[in-house]
Amino acid sequence: MAEISGTSVDKVEQPIECAARRYLYVWEGPVRIIHWLNFFCIIILSFTGYFIHDPFMSSAQHPYIMGHMRHIHYVTGVVFSVSILARLYWFLGDSYFASWRAIPNPFDKNNRKTFWAYIRFYTFLGKETPHLLGHNPVAFCAYTLLFLLFFLQILTGFALWAQADPYSSLYAVTGWIFGLVSNQWVRWFHFMVMFLIAGFVINHIYSIVLFDFKSKSGEISSIFSGWKPDRRD
Amino acid sequence: MTDFKGMLAAHNISRRSFLKYCSALGAMMAVPATMTPRIAAALESDNRPPVIWMEFQSCTGDTESLLRANRPSVGELILDHLSLDYHETVMAAAGDQAEASKHATMEKFKGQYICIIEGSIPVGADGVYCTIAGQTAVDILKKVGGDAGLIIAVGSCSSYGGLPAAYPNPTGAVGVSELLPGKTVINLPGCPMNVDNLTGTIVHYLTFGSAPAMDRFGRPKFAYGKRIHDNCERRGHFDAGQYVENWGDHGHRQGWCLYKMGCKGPASFHNCPTLRWNEGLSWPVMAGHGCVGCSEPGFFDTMMPMYQRLPNVPGFGVEASALKIGGAIVGASAAVFATHGAVTMARNWKQVNQAKTETREMIKETTDAEK
Repeated sequence: MAEISGTSVDKVEQPIECAARRYLYVWEGPVRIIHWLNFFCIIILSFTGYFIHDPFMSSAQHPYIMGHMRHIHYVTGVVFSVSILARLYWFLGDSYFASWRAIPNPFDKNNRKTFWAYIRFYTFLGKETPHLLGHNPVAFCAYTLLFLLFFLQILTGFALWAQADPYSSLYAVTGWIFGLVSNQWVRWFHFMVMFLIAGFVINHIYSIVLFDFKSKSGEISSIFSGWKPDRRD
Repeated sequence: MTDFKGMLAAHNISRRSFLKYCSALGAMMAVPATMTPRIAAALESDNRPPVIWMEFQSCTGDTESLLRANRPSVGELILDHLSLDYHETVMAAAGDQAEASKHATMEKFKGQYICIIEGSIPVGADGVYCTIAGQTAVDILKKVGGDAGLIIAVGSCSSYGGLPAAYPNPTGAVGVSELLPGKTVINLPGCPMNVDNLTGTIVHYLTFGSAPAMDRFGRPKFAYGKRIHDNCERRGHFDAGQYVENWGDHGHRQGWCLYKMGCKGPASFHNCPTLRWNEGLSWPVMAGHGCVGCSEPGFFDTMMPMYQRLPNVPGFGVEASALKIGGAIVGASAAVFATHGAVTMARNWKQVNQAKTETREMIKETTDAEK
């Protein structure tokens, strides 16, 4: 692709040179599928979850509205859990950019340097836009926190679901949480985390647009296609 | 102790009614119908252990629950027929006489008598907030509870601390099980406890000689094994999305679901909807008020605000509902990133304009060259 775009502009001096040379396959199929599965799950879970907290629609047209909302919430919760498990499997697997191999090492001098370069960029303290093919180290921290929230959300969700039948094996697995925290506070937590995830979504969309246009390296398109340009600065 | 059969006859209760009651109790405890004769035999036998009923920081509500009868039923006769050797509110004896009766029972039936505790136990300031006959509640409990064959904590206060333990818990109130570690304490929380559950627990003990199966909070599963929400008669309205929005509105008059009025039925395990109160007459939700979750550990604090679904966010003042704070989190996030975006735009304005101009020039030159 670089050659094709190069031919037409070779005759003139290229004003702002595109750093892209060729494209690398960064996000494998499962990573992208899981990403978009999570995207739809989070939207559905947030909507139905909010409805369960505050049933704002009247039932005139729908005689079993809360029952269906809860059903959708539970089914989507199961899909979401499977998706998160699959992501964990991929994290331990062969991939490079989407696996444990890409974890920034805080004991490595260069990794620390990159981390602070991103912090300087985010806080407007530096003019340079750092670039990495995979996750940047600051984003990596955010994703770690996010997946911790996902995990707690799944745990509390299944625990609250299990309360409908305290003799079930689901309750046997998750019920211990109510020995630590009263179920009203578990419910409260499950509700509040939704807002934290919503806050993350805003951050995520903003950051990806920011990097898409600052580093000119196809941040947005890569989660559809999997390809990212190999930049040589 | 009078003869139980004679007592039934004196109250004009037929053998048939008595056996009916025994099968009902068996059903409540979820034991097979073949157990009915065993229950009847256990109730009729004359070697029932005596009861010592102690009150600490309580409102006597559980005693009220015990005595609430407007006509004596088989259940009350069972409780009456148990030898209630010590109960501050209902006993005729007082002072040294009462203490002597208690000590006599404790010695004679050591390891056998049933100890029922009503009210929380204050441990703050070495227990001085509640003393009886010169002894603190903590000491009395450890002594009487330590030698008991069966310990039943009736009401939320003796089970988990209840109202006296609510923030800021000035007396350091705690429940019975915290002070008797290692002892089996059967908790019958509720504000007050339902006397039918007490009868069931005692009958279980008389019949089988052991405590009934209990959940992780020490509550008998036969009484606390299901959520109020899942057995509620208004559950259909919940699933159908029919809710009371305001007190006295159309939905309230129609008996719709009280979920939006802060009903804690979805968070509370109790058999109120099936057993009901005052001889099966009614219960809070039936009467049009949401459940307040009185039988859950952590009641009162964890179930407040009474008329809201979820607890408020701690540390943000009284009106900080979860929704408001959650909205603020999203708003703050949006504001931070909008500002970041605006600053980025401003910082790159010149560069963007330059890139635009240069791209335009490049296109012009390319087209010119092609011509």
